[in-house]
Amino acid sequence: MRRRLPQIICGLFGLVLLVLYFSSHATAKTLNLLILVEYYQIIFAFTLLVGVVSFVRVNLQSIERGQDRPYRVISLLGLAAMPVTAALWGIGGGSPFMWLFGNVQVPLQSTVFALLAFFVASASYRGFRAHSVPAAVLLVSAVLILLSRSDLGGFVSTYITPVAEWVRNNPSMSARRAILIGIGLGSLTTSLRVILGIERTWLGGESR
Amino acid sequence: MKIAARHYCFIGLAVVVVIAMLIDYRPELEVSDESRRMFEYLDSLPEGSLLLISFDHEASAMPEIRPLALALLRHAFARRHRLIGIALMAEGTGIGYGLMNQMAKEYNCEYGSDYVYLGFKPQYIAAILSMGESLPQTFPDDYTGRAWADLSMLAGVRNYGDLAGVISIADGSMVMHWVEYGKGRYGVPVSAFVAAAMVTTFDPYLASGQLTAMVGGLRGAAEYEQLIGRPGAGARAMLAQTSMHIYVVALIVIGNVVYFVGRRKGRGR
Repeated sequence: MRRRLPQIICGLFGLVLLVLYFSSHATAKTLNLLILVEYYQIIFAFTLLVGVVSFVRVNLQSIERGQDRPYRVISLLGLAAMPVTAALWGIGGGSPFMWLFGNVQVPLQSTVFALLAFFVASASYRGFRAHSVPAAVLLVSAVLILLSRSDLGGFVSTYITPVAEWVRNNPSMSARRAILIGIGLGSLTTSLRVILGIERTWLGGESR
Repeated sequence: MKIAARHYCFIGLAVVVVIAMLIDYRPELEVSDESRRMFEYLDSLPEGSLLLISFDHEASAMPEIRPLALALLRHAFARRHRLIGIALMAEGTGIGYGLMNQMAKEYNCEYGSDYVYLGFKPQYIAAILSMGESLPQTFPDDYTGRAWADLSMLAGVRNYGDLAGVISIADGSMVMHWVEYGKGRYGVPVSAFVAAAMVTTFDPYLASGQLTAMVGGLRGAAEYEQLIGRPGAGARAMLAQTSMHIYVVALIVIGNVVYFVGRRKGRGR
């Protein structure tokens, strides 16, 4: 019963949401809105809670053990700072919350993201090798796309842009479409397997 | 510390980008069909059209997203379209609010009558679907806590049926969800301003017409700024981006030369 009950609830909700998606009946719309606005938000709140509790616990354990203590303390302070400032002074323009967001969080995250450029530079020297024909084709396509997004005056627009456009609109788009169709069919199959109780890995068991 | 080849790559990159950013060069670009399509789409809407702008990105994408968002907001406010701002990713909330207020001030637009900011809604798929059913029930209050009924611009707005379109400013796959659930389920026209890395992901949707228009990356921002006649951060960063791209291509070429020379020497021994 410990497995059967979640399976029944999951299957039932899967079917209800499937029907609601296609139905325009007033009752269906009301029920749909109730599930989307209320029920999903409650689930989200709990997932957030699980994340926060886990984050705090892991960091406290590390502080106790003396591992990376200063960083862990800063992490916990950062976690507490945003909700506390939001609760005390609100989230309007000019509030401490917005100041922290604009002057601490945004620059820090942009900096971390910008580090990617250094990895790209390093990888372009050490990793992008034309050691086979497919690798060479990939490399040439990547260089064409890269240059087409640059400003090299008339040179790019006359010679490179049309070729780069062709690469984007033909081989790249064909591959992308095939992947998207594959993802769509895969999602559909998995959803049906979950609804019908065939897929049970999400319960920690094996699928039939 | 021994300096490895990768350290020279890092130093070179830093030097190239810093020098490029010190030079104030704003290029005259050839505008792509994509950017022109978006410009003509926004221009074709009657003045005062109601548009929903969704800030679906994180803070890390700011250098690329900010010029895109500013170009869009400048064009929309200049056309006197009425804008509803939302965010489906938590970090986009504060950014969207700040950018909308900044641009509104520049175009003398009033909060509540020319634009409103409804804020963040978690669970993006549920949010997109529930807005299709009822916008006021999905966002009973705006970002600052004012009730929906107190915002004159929103009087009579029920769902996507009352909007001219949705424009997602995204650095990830959110545009796909807008197309699948907003356009697919409720038929609202969806357009997007996206980070360069996501452009090819959404190409099939643009080609099929599921996406009305799309502008991508810094180059797209620079092109759009040129179309609206307001060069900004996009044009300003084009030299840095171009220098960086040429630097990366040069490293690829050097890396391959070193590789092939090394391989030939290895065979000769």
